[in-house]
Amino acid sequence: MNRTDVLRHIASLRNGDPMIISPGLANYAIAEAKDEPLTIYNMDMPYATPMALGMALGWPERRVISIEGDGSLLAGPGVLATIARYQPENLLIFVFDNGAYLTTGSGKAPTATAFGTDIEQWGRAAGLQNTRTVHDLEAAKSAVSAAFSEPGPWLVVAKVDKQDRPAERGPHSLPMYVYEAGLVFHRAALQERSAKK
Amino acid sequence: MGEPQELNTPQPSVANTGKAGVRYRQEALESFHEGFREAGIDFAVFLPDSMLDGVEQLIIERGGIDTYQCSREDEGIAMAMGAFLVGKRPVALMEGSGIGMSALILARGIVQKTPMMLIISHNSALGERYDYHGATRLVAEPVLRALDIPHHVLFDPGDIRRVIVEAQATIEGQRLPFGVLVPSHVIREIGEDR
Repeated sequence: MNRTDVLRHIASLRNGDPMIISPGLANYAIAEAKDEPLTIYNMDMPYATPMALGMALGWPERRVISIEGDGSLLAGPGVLATIARYQPENLLIFVFDNGAYLTTGSGKAPTATAFGTDIEQWGRAAGLQNTRTVHDLEAAKSAVSAAFSEPGPWLVVAKVDKQDRPAERGPHSLPMYVYEAGLVFHRAALQERSAKK
Repeated sequence: MGEPQELNTPQPSVANTGKAGVRYRQEALESFHEGFREAGIDFAVFLPDSMLDGVEQLIIERGGIDTYQCSREDEGIAMAMGAFLVGKRPVALMEGSGIGMSALILARGIVQKTPMMLIISHNSALGERYDYHGATRLVAEPVLRALDIPHHVLFDPGDIRRVIVEAQATIEGQRLPFGVLVPSHVIREIGEDR
């Protein structure tokens, strides 16, 4: 399963939802599918999910999405316990697990999941109940659709291949610099929230 | 959404209850709460520590500020940043050691213009009587200085409310994090085990 195919499905369901993306190819796939103002690209790891948790708690009326890699989530798994503690129904975590630190150097350094660490079980042990691990595109689309339609918090782990490594090395640009992102996101969120008052 | 049940359970006032041998200065706890409310703080995240526990329990007891407990301080700062981005005015409370854990996420907050207030127990100079706080004492202010994060070390409890209000003005005006450091004597009764 190629993660870009799954990301396109997520993007098709997103409808402008706030999203934070950990480092890697996922940023470019999401930007190419559709850039949205409520997006933080290339969040330093392991902070995509903690920041998304703060958004979900602070804006309970809005669905919030965290796009993670296995390496990124493994760098800060304690947040899973915090999420389980507060159970924000509007938080969706999608983990793309290719078993490697694919974007670094040769891309050959494996993560712990290559040796059996199970991120979904980690989440369940923390206290998350809506979890799935999916191995093919059909199952991934089903899990993603469920996460978008049923109360969370959701942890979906997609076991993806490393075939997008060549694309990772190609030239890319994102629609926004990091130093713009906070201003653009904050302004968009305030405008949306004030318009709904 | 699940509620922080144990945090929302009504509890008796924590001031001067002698938890873990600690006696807090009631006026200091009240000043933190008043300052937060006057500054518009509406989201708090903390990792428990002995010196700020009185503040944290008071804001839970009084309500009006959504309060959450994190698993690690840098995670809590990231949560506060997320809350800011969706329109909240956040504060993160922690021991000084937590700032040592948080240099990267604070740097991200500066670059990304996503600030928060930091309430930090322990400072480098005043009232640090225990050797096991040696590393804690060393790490907070140097990290704040290295990242050029504006900060203020409290001395008089009578300044707490005003410092918090003015800190929030800087946070919003400059879009920078702001650290308020809390020496022991500011928040605890003199002569108590601290």
